[in-house]
Amino acid sequence: MAHMTQEEYKKNVREVYRTTAILSAVTIIEVVGALMYEKYALPAGYPRIILSIFVSVASLIKAYWIMAVFMHVNHEKRGFAFTILFPFSFLILAVVAFSMDGSNFGELLRNINSLH
Amino acid sequence: MATDLTKTPNLEPHIEIPHEETEFGISYGKIMMWYFLISDTFTFAAFLVAYAMQRFRQADTWPSSNEVFQSVPGITDSGAPLIFVSIMTFILILSSVTMVRAVQEGFMKNRKGVIMWLIPTILGGMAFLYCQYLEWTHLMHQGMSMSFNPFSGMEGVEGPVNFGQFFFTITGFHGMHVFVGVCINIWLLIGVINGTYERRGSYEMVEKVGLFWHFVDLVWVYVFLAYYLL
Repeated sequence: MAHMTQEEYKKNVREVYRTTAILSAVTIIEVVGALMYEKYALPAGYPRIILSIFVSVASLIKAYWIMAVFMHVNHEKRGFAFTILFPFSFLILAVVAFSMDGSNFGELLRNINSLH
Repeated sequence: MATDLTKTPNLEPHIEIPHEETEFGISYGKIMMWYFLISDTFTFAAFLVAYAMQRFRQADTWPSSNEVFQSVPGITDSGAPLIFVSIMTFILILSSVTMVRAVQEGFMKNRKGVIMWLIPTILGGMAFLYCQYLEWTHLMHQGMSMSFNPFSGMEGVEGPVNFGQFFFTITGFHGMHVFVGVCINIWLLIGVINGTYERRGSYEMVEKVGLFWHFVDLVWVYVFLAYYLL
């Protein structure tokens, strides 16, 4: 990467501006989606999980573009990219496990309180 | 120390730092920056996972973010959910873009270009911190603090106290990262203006600082998701 030709430089600059457009578009869609959901879908009785999945996927898309283009993971060797991305896979496990644990714990507390 | 930008400093290379290539084809400094960022990711993940757990535990009393964050400081006090925080998100994304442009100019060894793109990056970081200051003061005026939560839950039940605790801890920890990032960027800008990296023959330091700055942006994507959207 240290020695870049003028052609490669121009290509990379175009890539950065394209990524900017994608990130802005995803953010706008995300916010508009959340506002629309709150205004129209929630009173109509659609469950909140739809919005949660929608914004989570949008955030994953944003994270992918930031890491791939802005942080150059696309241009690193595959072995190195793997050492960065592999630890993140544990986080998925942590989020799922702890959310379920918290949900169960809350249920348990409510059951105990209703006994009194 | 006032540096005259119009006068070109001595740019003759006089320090030779051997560029040690590792098996990954990048320097040790960059690899260690990445591994530091991974460890930092886990610190943020600990906060966000703890937040997720507490939120799921108190799902029925947790305040709706659309009711809590509905002010745009200076314009309106209510009725505009998500607008102000979207502006903050855009400021951070744009300052990330200017940073990546500075890194690219660094590859081309274009000293003026790096200076030109670093300045808006610093200004963007400062603007973000100012927005966060406005938001925090607004919430504190409403009575939110580490020990009190003025907002009621979804069904009008009293909201949990740790709503404010998690909010101020998570956004505060992120804000601290932005503040550190701004400081490092200013230090980098001084180095670039003085021609330190030109003499060294490599603008790799811009790349390393850039990695940290993008990481701050990446974390904000998830703070935004966890606290404002979900």
